Amino acid sequence: MKYMLLIYDNPDTRERFFGPGGESLRAEIDALMTEITEAGELVGGEALADPATTRTVRPHDGVPVITDGPLAEAKEHFAGYLIVDCETIERASAIAARWPNARTAAMEVRAIMNPSGTEM
Amino acid sequence: VNRDRRVEDLVRELAPRVLATLVRRYGRFDACEDAVQEALLAAATQWPADGMPGNPHGWLLTVATRRLIEGLRSDQARRRREDAVAALAAPDAFLAPGPGDQDLPQADDTLRLLFLCCHPALSPASQVALTLRAVGGLTTAEIAHAFLVPEATMAQRISRAKGAIKASGTRFELPPQEGRAARLSVVLHVLYLVFNEGYSATSGPHLLRPELSTEAIRLARVLQHALPNDGEVAGLLALMLLTDARRSARNGSDGNLVPLAEQDRARWNRAQIAEGVSLLTNALHRDRLGAYQLQAAIAAVHDEAASTETTDWREILALYELLERLGPSPVVTLNRVVAVAMVRGPQAGLALIATLAADGGLRESHRLEAVRAHLLEMTGDATAALAAYERAATLTTSLPERRYLQKRAARLSDDRG
Repeated sequence: MKYMLLIYDNPDTRERFFGPGGESLRAEIDALMTEITEAGELVGGEALADPATTRTVRPHDGVPVITDGPLAEAKEHFAGYLIVDCETIERASAIAARWPNARTAAMEVRAIMNPSGTEM
Repeated sequence: VNRDRRVEDLVRELAPRVLATLVRRYGRFDACEDAVQEALLAAATQWPADGMPGNPHGWLLTVATRRLIEGLRSDQARRRREDAVAALAAPDAFLAPGPGDQDLPQADDTLRLLFLCCHPALSPASQVALTLRAVGGLTTAEIAHAFLVPEATMAQRISRAKGAIKASGTRFELPPQEGRAARLSVVLHVLYLVFNEGYSATSGPHLLRPELSTEAIRLARVLQHALPNDGEVAGLLALMLLTDARRSARNGSDGNLVPLAEQDRARWNRAQIAEGVSLLTNALHRDRLGAYQLQAAIAAVHDEAASTETTDWREILALYELLERLGPSPVVTLNRVVAVAMVRGPQAGLALIATLAADGGLRESHRLEAVRAHLLEMTGDATAALAAYERAATLTTSLPERRYLQKRAARLSDDRG
């Protein structure tokens, strides 16, 4: 089963990551990435740029209108994702729990829809 | 295309034999497996272009042996232990197939390879990947494509699996008699997983996925040839044949899933059903009853019925009751609920769900909600059925299942106007 691990961030977390002492957090991530890569569980993932660079596209009178800035000012923002292929959602959640953001902001584990199925 | 297909079939049939020969000569399963994979890739490009060699087995063995020795040499060089190279440098005569190579007991070789690839130290996903590569002769790219993951992910899985086998120190031999049954059940489970991965694939962009069920059937045949007296091996092969026989009827022209009750039974593969039934009948007469034989027996009852109405649901219920004792699982329990409802009516099925839920015997799942929805629909309670279909559609992680459940819900909602 494939799961997306959604990584949430807040301004404080950012500072801790890239400020002094952030090396240990980044090393934690490197170690976890190595582990799930070597286990053949990592399918993909990307980190997102700061929300300051966001553009939002939403309808205005039924017509898409592009504006600068994120959808809504929020305490936490979507910062990146991983896709993992694991035996169980418990394993996917265990990986999420070891990502540093699980201690500082939040992680979400979402099942990815599968093109296969059985008749019911 | 036909010729490429023929090359592909031959290459895949020869792959485990070449690998077994190499492992027996050189040990080092991991390095041998890489070398065979390279030889298979070379054959896939060279044979269709240059024509088939006179002795395909010998050709593959020669190329794989050269690659193995080159690999071992460069390994050695890296480790600066050149003095060991001399020992590994085989004279050219040794690269040619030995006189006895083609007469080796192939069935035993395949068995040894299957036991090795399905080593209990590996995760099921790794067992599946390694089996398809080493025994099935598929390339890493093909396996990755079939399981919808990047090639790099699949390559890691295979290399991790080979590392675990190396670390376990397992030798290329059959597991000792005590414990062999447990090891065999892992092999059967791996083939079952491969089959299901292919069978559950609906028609669509992932063309190689249905081929996984064909590959699982091929491997199960090889296994059955090696262990002709094992009832569960025959049971698994029969189950695959009897299930796969319905494949073309289970996919609607729109790619949607067609439930058993609505399938056009004229499209079921009669020859495959006959073969499955005959395998199963022999197994039931010869060996102890097992979970795969029971599942095959249930599939056979469905396959031999002209419609859902004329299906012998009493027999199916009795078989599920036995299966729940031999190989209990949430899916088996739910199927028993369906059989109870078909024999004693939907209310009896719903009452059983309530009892099981109260005992903690059934976990909340899309399957449970789908069964509840069907039974509620049978009782005529459209409102409750609609709600259950919608809950099931929310809980499933399968796109075709969600489409099917939403369609059932929409139908009820239209009926109510």
